Amino acid sequence: MNFKIFLLTKLFVLFLISSASALVIGSDEEEIYIDANFSGKNLLVFGAFYSDPSQARDDKSDILIEVVGPSEDVVIRKKESFFGFWLNSKSVGFNDVPGFYYLSSTNEITNEFLNENNIGLLNKKDTQLIDWSALNIDWGNVKNQKEKDTFYAALIRTKESEDVYRKVNGEIQIIDGNLFRSYIEIPNTVPVGQYKVNLYLIIDNKISNEYSYNFMVTRVGIEEAIYSFSKNYPLIYGLISLLIAIIIGLSGAEVFKRFRKI
Amino acid sequence: MSIYLPIAELSVNIILLLSIGGVVGFLSGMFGLGGGFLMTPILIFMGIPTNVAVATSANQIVASSISGTIGYWRQGLVDFKMGGVLLIGSFFGSILGVWIFSRLVVLGQIDTVISILYFALLTSIGLIMLIESSQVIRDRVRRKTVKRKIHYHNWTHKLPFKMKFYKSKLYISAIPPVIIGFVIGILSATMGIGGTFILIPAMIYFLRMPTSKVIGTSLFQIIFVTALVTLLHATTTFAVDAVLAFFLIIASVIGAQLGVLAANKLRGEEIRALLAIIVLGVATKIALDLLVEPNEIFNISVIRSLF
Repeated sequence: MNFKIFLLTKLFVLFLISSASALVIGSDEEEIYIDANFSGKNLLVFGAFYSDPSQARDDKSDILIEVVGPSEDVVIRKKESFFGFWLNSKSVGFNDVPGFYYLSSTNEITNEFLNENNIGLLNKKDTQLIDWSALNIDWGNVKNQKEKDTFYAALIRTKESEDVYRKVNGEIQIIDGNLFRSYIEIPNTVPVGQYKVNLYLIIDNKISNEYSYNFMVTRVGIEEAIYSFSKNYPLIYGLISLLIAIIIGLSGAEVFKRFRKI
Repeated sequence: MSIYLPIAELSVNIILLLSIGGVVGFLSGMFGLGGGFLMTPILIFMGIPTNVAVATSANQIVASSISGTIGYWRQGLVDFKMGGVLLIGSFFGSILGVWIFSRLVVLGQIDTVISILYFALLTSIGLIMLIESSQVIRDRVRRKTVKRKIHYHNWTHKLPFKMKFYKSKLYISAIPPVIIGFVIGILSATMGIGGTFILIPAMIYFLRMPTSKVIGTSLFQIIFVTALVTLLHATTTFAVDAVLAFFLIIASVIGAQLGVLAANKLRGEEIRALLAIIVLGVATKIALDLLVEPNEIFNISVIRSLF
């Protein structure tokens, strides 16, 4: 299907619903299913800067797309050398951090702007700007600020290396001045749960309008069934695992007996 | 072609998985060892989380030890009474072992402790096998046979709770086998091994069991220890990966049969020396992982998904 026609039709529908809004958006997915063969997906987010299609985007207006995944509690552990052995020593617990975080904008957006508007998790370059009190952190025996910063940076770094935290610029395509679209890569390592997409229309460094919607990431398939079964009925799961081992073990012995007779 | 392991939460190549199961099974069939001491570290090298590697290895050993026991049982080489006494100790040992294991998971030290235990274990096994096989090779060259003392008394004979073990022609206290079983239970639960290579020498040297009955009896008791360990891990650490276990079991049972056939055709000592070198190689890799400064000194673990 011609993308533009599809987009315009969908936008027209959205326009009727939310005619008061200046920022109109849509998406192609409400639910993403992850199965064993899931190798990541490009989530399409699209929209228009202005509900009046004749009004074109100018240089002063930017789009910011933020995708926040479900919260999780993580522990960051630091290895230290003890008598030549690298062992886990200090640890910091970060509670309620997003399991997925994506921030994309048409232009470079400053950390100051993100902090002023309370957007953005990935401003690690400037840890002084982080509002630590807003985060639920168990610092353990990590006391000084410099060391705290290294743990925070390690959290961001490890999440980035797992491709679940990303901050990008210029990946949003602008079509005909007023329309935009962006493909957001959802890797197969993402946690399941509810994801929130926040879109901001920024004009003259001010948020002029915003729009949010949710989508779900769900695991499906036999692997998911096994996973949830092992959590919900651990004893039965353990017994079945044993039974499989016993059956194969016994039949192995049987086959072996015949083998030797030949 | 790869498959997603639901508990380990990663995709692995099926061919690689079957090859590992097959090779470890082959070696265990050839040498009459459980193979868990090689399976667990190799799984960890593959990127499978330590707790999943340990718990799943235990599940796999259930199958291989059943296969093995039946062969010995048919030849009347299993002392069920001795196996039962060992199991009393193993029962409590594996409960303690799984408890220690889950404490270490919470403290974040499980990977390190497992690495150190495996390093110690593999280094000793490797060196013992290397020394033993080179001695045999040397003795063969010199056409020498080693004579062993058949029977003698040691301190274990002074202990109470004496029991008769007709099959093994022993009249000994039940305490040493219970203690041996207890230690094996702990090792099995924490390291995902059957413990044959510790159990067999312990039964020969401490209990003075006839060598012919030792392997069958140890395999028999390992079935139950690893079965219990599997259940305990499934219910407390949730780390048994049934899909991973399934492929490893299939491959290792076939590999073990081929290993037994090969053992009848090949000279043991040279291969034993080769296995010793493989074991020492794995030990070296574990040591390097502990000693070399890691690229990333921070590591992350998700405690709880709030969804």
